[in-house]
Amino acid sequence: MKLNYLFPNKYKKVGWLILIPSAIIGLITLYLDFEPNSLDFNVPAIFIEELLGDKHFFGIVNNNILNEILGALILFSSLLVAFSKEESEDEYISKIRLESLVWAVYFNYAVLLISFVLIFDLAFLWVMIFNMFTILLFFIIRFNWQISKLKKIAHYEE
Amino acid sequence: MKNSIKVERAKKNITQADLAILAKVSRQTINAMELGKYVPSTVLSLRLAQIFEVEVSQIFTLEESDWN
Repeated sequence: MKLNYLFPNKYKKVGWLILIPSAIIGLITLYLDFEPNSLDFNVPAIFIEELLGDKHFFGIVNNNILNEILGALILFSSLLVAFSKEESEDEYISKIRLESLVWAVYFNYAVLLISFVLIFDLAFLWVMIFNMFTILLFFIIRFNWQISKLKKIAHYEE
Repeated sequence: MKNSIKVERAKKNITQADLAILAKVSRQTINAMELGKYVPSTVLSLRLAQIFEVEVSQIFTLEESDWN
């Protein structure tokens, strides 16, 4: 059983090269609330809620696009890291990939459920920001951990 | 399910790494199969049979627990 919808192996490295710096810069800008004026733009929006609570669809808003750029880079590169083929992506690796994905979905929703019940109001916004990325992050950690464990075992045998 | 991959490999005098190359899978997969941690697909089973020049049923044997 081989999984489809995977990127070629070489994109895994590209993914890491984008993911690590953009994740570090993303966390720093988030922590410092850094929004340089040079990146304030009027941008199109699908759904808008005004300060006074007026809601409507489609329009233009003034927004600092730094977090959009970094968020998109992190999502894009996480997908590359998560779903690029291993050097020898065979049926056993595919099985481990699938199991890791199931595990990551369960784990992510367990964390989300706990946060949902125990974190409220604006503080929950932080949960939603991190939750955008955690499902892929948990998958990447779990899958690569399993693969490295496998390589170690295979190394000792024979 | 039991398998005799290790025995067949010994008969042919090839390493796990050699077999991995012949069967076009990773060495970890050969290792996991020999340890009974992974049951291969039909395609891979047929490949192994062809490499060892035996019938699939000579490599793989059902166990009681496979019916549960």
